[in-house]
Amino acid sequence: MYGMIHRAVRQMVFDELGEDAWLALEHKLGIGPTELLTGMVYDDALTIAIISEASARLNISVDACLFEFGRYWIKYAEHGSLASIMNFTGQDLASFIKNLDRLHLAVGAAMPGARLPSFTTISKEPGRLMVEYRSDRTGLEQFVLGLFDGLITRFGATGDVKIAEHKANSIVFELQYQDES
Amino acid sequence: MLLTFTEQQLASLLPAYLRLDSSLYIKAIGPSVVEHMPDIRVGMRCTDVFDFIHTDIEQFFDNTDGVKPIRLVSHCGRTHLFGAAVFDKTGCILAVRHVLSEESMNNGTLHMNDFGYADPVVLSTMLISLQRAMLEESQATAIELAHERERSASLLERTDRVAGYMGHDFNNLLSIIRLNADRLLRKFGHDEKISNLAQIIRETAARGSNITQSLMKLSHQQTDTLLPIVIDDLIRENDTFLNSVVGSGISFDIDLQAATCESVISYNGLLNCIINLLINAREAMPHGGRISLSTSVAHGLATSKSDSGDTEPSAYIAICVADSGSGMSEALLSRAFEPLFSSKPKGTGLGLASVRDFAKEMGGDVWLESQVGEGTTVYLHLPLANPSAEAQTAHKFGQSADAPAIGTRHILLVEDEPYALETLAEMLEAEGYAVTPCASGEQAMQALEQQAYHVLLTDIVMPGQTGTEIARKANLDQPSIKTILMSGYVPDSASLEPGWMFIRKPMDSDELLRLVASAV
Ligand code: HEM
Repeated sequence: MYGMIHRAVRQMVFDELGEDAWLALEHKLGIGPTELLTGMVYDDALTIAIISEASARLNISVDACLFEFGRYWIKYAEHGSLASIMNFTGQDLASFIKNLDRLHLAVGAAMPGARLPSFTTISKEPGRLMVEYRSDRTGLEQFVLGLFDGLITRFGATGDVKIAEHKANSIVFELQYQDES
Repeated sequence: MLLTFTEQQLASLLPAYLRLDSSLYIKAIGPSVVEHMPDIRVGMRCTDVFDFIHTDIEQFFDNTDGVKPIRLVSHCGRTHLFGAAVFDKTGCILAVRHVLSEESMNNGTLHMNDFGYADPVVLSTMLISLQRAMLEESQATAIELAHERERSASLLERTDRVAGYMGHDFNNLLSIIRLNADRLLRKFGHDEKISNLAQIIRETAARGSNITQSLMKLSHQQTDTLLPIVIDDLIRENDTFLNSVVGSGISFDIDLQAATCESVISYNGLLNCIINLLINAREAMPHGGRISLSTSVAHGLATSKSDSGDTEPSAYIAICVADSGSGMSEALLSRAFEPLFSSKPKGTGLGLASVRDFAKEMGGDVWLESQVGEGTTVYLHLPLANPSAEAQTAHKFGQSADAPAIGTRHILLVEDEPYALETLAEMLEAEGYAVTPCASGEQAMQALEQQAYHVLLTDIVMPGQTGTEIARKANLDQPSIKTILMSGYVPDSASLEPGWMFIRKPMDSDELLRLVASAV
């Protein structure tokens, strides 16, 4: 994946365990700043190695780490220059998710070679959304669960996300939430 | 082709559209306009809520065939719309959209839902924001990389220094072992058993010394011994080899006029320089020609005219390498000494740069003179070490120094390692020198006030005053004193003054005695 993602994982480890923990991780994997170049595409194997090494240091499973990273990504993108893109994408959970593909369309244009996901809202009721996720990658369900969980928090709601159905080429997620306001 | 859209379809294509009747009354409003202007209602006159910019309202419906560009600003000033008016029998549709800028995106007033799905302005504005974010991250990365480089450089420097210190300390110990093994050999060498044991100790110390030498090389410490060397002899000794460097097809003349004049230099260092200069000369003449290598002794400025500012006139040995090649232009000449600059297709650009480094380190200089079409001459000037030898030449510079009589050759010996001090003093006394041993710079300073010395033999790295500081003071007080520095390493070769000799620890007794003898 793009170095931008690696930088976010690094920030998560920094925030949770401090700089030394990240430096130890770099040392263990034999990587350094050259594996954290924002605009560079790295093999997914490296991204996974970083995540699994981070999970060992955070003392959680790789799945739990992917989930936490999903939640973290939403917070990460709320700060700095990505914030305006996040704000622009939508002001409530349903319209934000509806616009996710347009967001990633811009990402794809700015970052050639990115393999981006697609999200389709297949049903929308008050407090309940069914969203279909498509990707040419596998094994990122926990990441997506974390992302949706993070989005629910972002829009000041509480709720739950679960996998409703594994289809042949997609996964359907069910989001149930109550607005706090 | 006639297309009809429902209000809902129109709303998703143009969320900020307005439908007006022919009297400009609002008949339908897009969801985005409602969102941003909650007070707007169907039935209001459009001109009551919007200003039409650069549009004559009276003639708005005059020409309704085509499409009319249009720009609207709400009376409150917060909503800016632009697009076109499309007319039909009942009135018109204002196919307009919000004016999206990076600013309105940043301050959160407009959102993606305010724009139609296929509206390219969304993609382009997001793209700009994304690229800005990536640029910021890239700048942060560049700073991180610079820090990383600094960190590795300082780590390397620390490792270098530690390796240097270790090498130095080991050399000091090995020096004591070696000198004492020599002492054993001298005193009890007739006893075969002791002689064997002493040899074993000596050889083991020599092996240890090889290891420290590699360590020092690794830490980029200079390991060469600096000795007074007769330049003409060096060239003579390597005559055959230098001829083979020049190769066939080029005539090679050697004219040595520096007689027995010496310069304190590293033997291999100078040989490398001469080889580099000959290779350069040879490569300047791919179709053959003539190279001459000459030496002479002269008096004047040892440095080139261009940077002769603060140098004193002195005696020096001039080594010239001249070729009859194609010569160099001014532009080439001015860059010739730049590291990594080469005018040759396969050149590394390190040859002349390393010659210059060597010359400067030895207290001399090198420069080029060239004429296009007439060839190039390189002048390598090295300071003269031994004025007495110089006196044998036609020139007379400085006072002549007659060798003092045996027993009156005074040596000031400074060494903070007591065992080394004792051993060295005993060895030199056994050779008939009068030795004043000092364990520190302070003691040496006192000794210098009390009598004149022929030779100062001092360690470099010592607590308190360093050997170079002592040497500088001694040379100031007693200008005729000859200086020999000893060390496990040279901390900074630039701190050695021209004419000073240097011997690397662990020292070979015979080599040290030869050096002292040559100095007196
Ligand atoms: C400013 C906000 C965002 C940016 C800049 C961004 C950018 C990216 C990038 C660069 C990748 C990696 C693609 C690759 O290297 O191949 C990616 C992947 C992904 N993004 Fe986003 N993203 C953003 C927001 C979101 C949000 C809010 C979600 C929420 C669901 C999301 C879901 C995903 C998923 C699931 C992937 C994994 C790719 C896959 O499934 O194959 N992204 N995104």
